[in-house]
Amino acid sequence: MKKFQFLSLIILFSSAIKAQNSDEKKILLTSNANTFGVSTINLLDPYLSPLTYSGFGISYEHENRRFLSTEKTNISTQGKMNMEASYNLNPQSTSSMMFLGVNYSWGMHYHFRPAKGLQLLAGGLWDADFGFKEVPRNINNPVSLDLATNLNLSGVAMFDVRLRKKTFRLQLELQTPILGYMFVPLNGASYYEMFELGNMTNTFHVSSLHNKRGVKSSFTIDVPSNRSVWCFGLNFMNVRYSANDLVFVRNELSLVVGTTFDTANFAGRKNKVPKNFISTNE
Amino acid sequence: MKKHVIILLFAVVLLPSCMNEPAMQPNTYQGNFEALWQIIDTKYCYLDYKHINWDSIRTAYKPRVDTIKNEYAFLDLMGSMLFELKDGHVNLFSDFNETRYWKWFQDYPANFSSSLIYNNRYLGDNYLIAGGFQYAKIDNGHIGYMYYEDFMNAFSDSNIAYMMKYFDQCKGLIIDVRDNGGGSLDYSKQLASYFFKVETVTGYMRHKTGDGHSDFSSPVEIRTPASKNIQWQRPVVVLTNRMSFSATNDFVNRMKQSPLGIIVGDKTGGGGGLPLSSELPNGWLVRFSSSPMYNADMQSTEWGIDPDVKVSLNATDEANGYDTIIERAITLIK
Repeated sequence: MKKFQFLSLIILFSSAIKAQNSDEKKILLTSNANTFGVSTINLLDPYLSPLTYSGFGISYEHENRRFLSTEKTNISTQGKMNMEASYNLNPQSTSSMMFLGVNYSWGMHYHFRPAKGLQLLAGGLWDADFGFKEVPRNINNPVSLDLATNLNLSGVAMFDVRLRKKTFRLQLELQTPILGYMFVPLNGASYYEMFELGNMTNTFHVSSLHNKRGVKSSFTIDVPSNRSVWCFGLNFMNVRYSANDLVFVRNELSLVVGTTFDTANFAGRKNKVPKNFISTNE
Repeated sequence: MKKHVIILLFAVVLLPSCMNEPAMQPNTYQGNFEALWQIIDTKYCYLDYKHINWDSIRTAYKPRVDTIKNEYAFLDLMGSMLFELKDGHVNLFSDFNETRYWKWFQDYPANFSSSLIYNNRYLGDNYLIAGGFQYAKIDNGHIGYMYYEDFMNAFSDSNIAYMMKYFDQCKGLIIDVRDNGGGSLDYSKQLASYFFKVETVTGYMRHKTGDGHSDFSSPVEIRTPASKNIQWQRPVVVLTNRMSFSATNDFVNRMKQSPLGIIVGDKTGGGGGLPLSSELPNGWLVRFSSSPMYNADMQSTEWGIDPDVKVSLNATDEANGYDTIIERAITLIK
């Protein structure tokens, strides 16, 4: 009898624990990465010059990724904001080109988990791209603008390696534009004619594999330390596009360093801050 | 399905070949000569208009490149070749010198003397300065006189409003743009807008669309708006000489269409082609006319604009401290 009572208590206790666990609300975490980079860059913009300009740049990138919901842990969203500036010279160093670029992308990936510690992500990203190039020496064509929006194919491979009680994450990311819309200046026309006189005919083009090809890739390794996770990596970009008898090329190789961290987002009536969290809003 | 995949792969492999950047000439004297010759051959806008046989110029200059011993001589030779274009908007810029064609004004009378406009009969010593304009009342306060020496000098509506207020008792206004070599087309448009009651098509512009010497886009209208804030409603005389060039030429072209405007002086220097620039393999910059501009009748303004009243500076007047062209403008306003 005593045996039976003891067994019942254990069952009750364990079911209570189980009930308690199943009542615990799952919280989605957002994985963030902030990285800074230095890069070497080659730019060909024949509207500004037939010569390829080369130089060094700096960049900042913020990336975040989270699953769609607590139930769907095989589809994630990804947002990325990249800003960079570079100073470039023509091959003879007789003229300089300043480049400022901003790119924002957002998209989704499906997660495959073919082996323990390995995730393969496949999906698509939409991006908006803005670039400003200035060759101050030029006359009436000192500036060239990059304005484009693209749909990109995207793939990511993440592999967690356990080493000396630490988990290192290796990540390879590839992205390529497949369809978009872009502004390309008229060959031989000044921005005065395009913007002041309003001759924008043939300045906006649909882009696809026939006139825009490229790859953006990055290889990073996340290294955990005591209270943070450091991220080191190498980014490579090669993009070329063509319209109005002009061929534009951008090659870039960057060394990046930053940190990665997870955050939980609470906002609104339905997604209040749990009581065991302390917020400055309270 | 397999067929479609093959076609797609074929397209992906082949299409990038359409995006190969054009081959650059080598950085040698011959390579730079070829690069410069090709830039002008494919991008310069007045080869046919000026009846220039650019192929024969290549034939004449190419053998001379082999005799070149240093960069200075090379720049001189390239400058001589560009000289054939007879265009003040064509220059070759190296790190040590720049070539230029100045015969568009050097071969003509100056028709301007700065010592004359600063004598007491005109600007004197106590003239006012605002927004790049030097201005004063002349002819006993009956005429307003503004000298604008550079269309790179920025001015605002406020600058012009103060000047107009200062001249509000004057019978007319003289805008002197002699020796003004040009600058910003925006300032040209803005300055002209004070003398138009309604927006007016004052010209056209085209640009090169292909390598052929006569491959041009359709003309685009150049409009001169009427300023909403400031309107000068009395006669305005624009003074010109051969050094009124480029953006100044554009201003004069606009003022030709102003109902209140009279152009007085000498034919302008022209410069009707909006210049763009490109680079040679050695890093030198070449500036060249790229987009031809026309007047409201679709006539090229490259060789200059004739004044409504042609007047030249008289040596006797000059010796006596009179500027013949200003004096004629005063007479016309009165």
